[in-house]
Amino acid sequence: MSIFKRPAKARRAALLPIAVGTLTVGAAFLAFAPTASYAQSNNPSSLSNYGYTGSYIYGSSGQGNGNNGPITNVNLNPSTIPFGRSLFVENCASCHGNNAEGSSRAPNLQGLGAATIDFWVSTGRMPLADPTVQAVRKPARFSRSETLAIDAYVSSLASGGPAIPNVNLQMANEASGSELFATNCAACHTITGAGDALAAGVYAPSLLSATPTQIAEAIRSGPGNMPRFGSNTLTDQQVADIAKYVTYLQKPVDQGGIALGHVGPVTEGFVGILIGLGLLMLAGLWIGGKAK
Amino acid sequence: MTQLHESSAIDASPKSRAAEVFVGICFLLSVLGTIGLAITYWVGGQPQVEGGLLFVTLGGIGIGMVAWGKYLVPQGPFVQEREVLKSEIVEKQAMLASLDRGQKQLGRRPFLGKMLGASIGLFGAINLFPFLRSLGPVPKKALTTTPWKKDALIVGPDGRVVTTSTLEVGGILTVFPSYDVGGAISQTVLVRVANENWTTKPGRETWGPQGYLAFSKICTHAGCPVGLYQELTQQLLCPCHQSLFDVLTGATQVFGPAPRPLPQLPIYFDSNGNLRAQSGYLEPVGPGYWERG
Amino acid sequence: MIVTQATDWFDERLGIAKFTRKSLNKIFPDHWSFMLGEIAMYSFVVLLFTGVFLTLFFVPSSKDVIYNGAYAPLRGTKVSEAFASTLNISFSVRAGLVMRQMHHWAANVFIAAIVVHVCRIFFTGAFRKPREINWIVGTGLLVLAIVNGFLGYSLPDDLISGTGIRIAFSIVLSVPVVGSYLAFLLFGGNFPGDSIIPRFYSLHILIIPALIVGLLTAHLAIMWHQKHTQFKGKGKTDRNVVGVAMWPAYAFQAGGFFFVTAAVIAILGGLVQINPIWLYGQYVPYRVSYAVQPDWYMGWLDGALRLMPSWEIQAFGHMIPNVFFPAVLLPGITFTLLGAWPFIEKKITKDNLEHNLLDNPRDVPWRTSLGVGILAFYVVLFFASSTDVLANSFSLSLNFVLWAFRILLFVVPPIAAYIAYKLAAEASDVPGIGRRKRALIISRSEEGAFSTSESAPRSATHEETVEELPEEVKYHNVLEGTEEYVMPSAVSSVATVINNVSVDVDLGPLPSGGSGVYQIPRSPRGSAPNGRIDEQEGHGDIDE
Repeated sequence: MSIFKRPAKARRAALLPIAVGTLTVGAAFLAFAPTASYAQSNNPSSLSNYGYTGSYIYGSSGQGNGNNGPITNVNLNPSTIPFGRSLFVENCASCHGNNAEGSSRAPNLQGLGAATIDFWVSTGRMPLADPTVQAVRKPARFSRSETLAIDAYVSSLASGGPAIPNVNLQMANEASGSELFATNCAACHTITGAGDALAAGVYAPSLLSATPTQIAEAIRSGPGNMPRFGSNTLTDQQVADIAKYVTYLQKPVDQGGIALGHVGPVTEGFVGILIGLGLLMLAGLWIGGKAK
Repeated sequence: MTQLHESSAIDASPKSRAAEVFVGICFLLSVLGTIGLAITYWVGGQPQVEGGLLFVTLGGIGIGMVAWGKYLVPQGPFVQEREVLKSEIVEKQAMLASLDRGQKQLGRRPFLGKMLGASIGLFGAINLFPFLRSLGPVPKKALTTTPWKKDALIVGPDGRVVTTSTLEVGGILTVFPSYDVGGAISQTVLVRVANENWTTKPGRETWGPQGYLAFSKICTHAGCPVGLYQELTQQLLCPCHQSLFDVLTGATQVFGPAPRPLPQLPIYFDSNGNLRAQSGYLEPVGPGYWERG
Repeated sequence: MIVTQATDWFDERLGIAKFTRKSLNKIFPDHWSFMLGEIAMYSFVVLLFTGVFLTLFFVPSSKDVIYNGAYAPLRGTKVSEAFASTLNISFSVRAGLVMRQMHHWAANVFIAAIVVHVCRIFFTGAFRKPREINWIVGTGLLVLAIVNGFLGYSLPDDLISGTGIRIAFSIVLSVPVVGSYLAFLLFGGNFPGDSIIPRFYSLHILIIPALIVGLLTAHLAIMWHQKHTQFKGKGKTDRNVVGVAMWPAYAFQAGGFFFVTAAVIAILGGLVQINPIWLYGQYVPYRVSYAVQPDWYMGWLDGALRLMPSWEIQAFGHMIPNVFFPAVLLPGITFTLLGAWPFIEKKITKDNLEHNLLDNPRDVPWRTSLGVGILAFYVVLFFASSTDVLANSFSLSLNFVLWAFRILLFVVPPIAAYIAYKLAAEASDVPGIGRRKRALIISRSEEGAFSTSESAPRSATHEETVEELPEEVKYHNVLEGTEEYVMPSAVSSVATVINNVSVDVDLGPLPSGGSGVYQIPRSPRGSAPNGRIDEQEGHGDIDE
């Protein structure tokens, strides 16, 4: 701190070299530091990180189907049917009828399949207080075993419809999932899975809290306004890939910092204008103001 | 150095002493920030740390400099007269005279002048051709036709052939002719509605076998892929500018800026149950352009 | 001494002393709103630095490669070299992501600063004679900045920006008569083609930046030559500039502000994620994401595209497409009117005088209200570009939101203009508005009666009073015989101008013996003397 003991003029003269020196030293240091890539990079030779060496073939990773496939069906226990019936009568029958035959207020559920019932109940969309508005995700009213009992009861009333899928994420391929997601899902749910408004007051919901099973159920059963994707449209493997990518999207790599809700340029614009330009205008207010 | 000398009053005040310390701290922080930056870089880098340290480094220099310029040197206010922008009248007349002299000297040979003009003009005009014309082909029929042909085999984006059982009722798939998978112009959206052999418009009686309906996926507004299918209301929504098309009435626009329905592709199932195009699109797909009557 | 030697060396070759002296002594009026243009310029410098860094790693090519880099979820997918190299910059090049994000944030701040700067110039009437040329240059800079922002945003070839390019193709296609040819030449064929990324690249990093640098240089040179405008105030007239000197006070303040600007952009670039293209994936023509918006400065165009009714003109075998009106005609009219504004205003006001003193916006209610109304129009369009996001965030029907915006577009601007007019007109009538308020002292007498009095004015240094301008005199040009200038009664300088003679004008009773009094020898032709206003004394100013 000896610079502060010198005469005023000399003191100031010392500050300029510090300012210049800061820049020079910093630049030199950066220039001669060794090269290495980010810690999480798997391939340290950064400039040759992409090339023609990939071996990935569209949609064919993982193998087989049936019980060893990426998606297996959940077997419902017939002994839980009476319990499921009592839950159904208590919570659902006022609209859907005791035998899930439907009414003027709610659709017939017979033959829709266990996956359909399981999706609506496990995501908390059912039971629904007001049937005139779009059901939204909320905390499920029933435990997993209660839900499965309801599924077992309703699917025992009539055959048909998809079974409850159990997704084996180990056998799924994220990269394939990312492409399938962009082709089939992003048009409504957005490419980051954040969801958006559709026409006439309905919404494509956010996918950020959906479980792999619920994702597969939704794909197969097409709840609400969502189209249905049967096994001839998307294979089990492809559904599992999508489920894996959506699971990734729930906790994506936000290398750049604060994610701003993953809604793209809208929030970025506001931050740029309000925070970026705002801070600078405050600085300008200080600089342009009179020194006291 | 100007005669604008430092006033001893500024140096003496305790405020300026405080400002000096402040400026010094700013520069010191900047130095520390730079050292931190170098270390961060050395160990492999991390975007958030780099951004934060850059802020300290640059901010230290910036705030220090501003404070120095604001609190430690005379601020005035000083006054300076403006110079008159307009030239003296004599000066202006002299300039015009010079210009005039040259013009007169050149004006004696008007024919040469015309030739010079013609040479430069022609050079410019001719050189526009390679410059512009090499950029790309002229449209010709590119905008009015698509790769779709009669009997084209219809496949999904993964190349699988579309058959009677590919879509469930309420399903959607982006399809292409088998020889142009992924094509930007041939992209077509295939949906399946509950109504068997649905006729969207008079004259399209055979276009919807088993409830399969195919429409160009290129929005007639600004060309975005109309990939958003609301199954309950059987409407296609364009994600870019929210034009809404009603599938059952032939993708007629019901809302938003799109001015025309999505063109419908006539399709049929061949004897093997594979979906094929009856013909190409009967009208240009995509957004409007001048030559389109 | 090294400075003396260097000065000699250059002066013998370039004759720099006179220009440098004038420059070092140049006076810059200080007001925070004069900093807006500086923010824009410094952001541009940050753009150049970070942009140069990015060019070292970016590969402008649409050629397909299989991505096999550091970002695992996309490994094995088919991407373009442009996209792969952007991923590479983000994940593998050290400090690459910070640079990329700083570049993008700097672009957002750059254009935002330009827009606010334009508003400042407009509302204070700084575009009036003699600054019309600079207004036009500035308009050109705004257009170039927006275009280059769009081009840069498109380069990574990701799903969101690719959709933007698709829309751009449709917009070019919509131009009457030549549209389809124009589009095919620009894109090298029908959309998408594979020449658009390299072409956008050379436009983005070479052609448009060169134009911006050129126009920016002209912008600054003209500003330097004509000198800054200034607000009305103590000792300030149409014929002088009052403020801080270039060297050293202004140089350090402005130089420091560059670093502050860079610092703010750096903290945004480091901490706030922008355009995470790895989440968007490669652009493929048949893929699309919902919630696709352009960067903010294109928002008004996107909003206009959304709000446009589904009209399309078809006649005589030709078509004027729907997008022509919101995306070609609207910006065409916008920038034509913007650039022509100084001349339009001149037609209205018939004011052909030189103005170096700024208007306070409240003093010109008609211009202020017009500006606010037009601004409101574009703000509504800007918000209309996020109809879907707004509908989703506030649980409204998309149809309702769209119709609301269609109505608001025509309702908000007149209301905003009316309110602005009323406020401005009212404020301009109130004496003393905008001055520093004095405290009211409420005192209670011994009898219990209350009385109110104003506190004493602050010391002269802090009390900013708006002085009456000196009486204006019409000055008769002896040479031309015409009435030319309206000049304040600074008789000495008038005499200088008329006679064009070099006189050492005694500037009158400058306080002697005080600190900081200095006098600079006059240059031969009309160059003005510098003086210092001593605020403590309050008088002795040049014009008094």
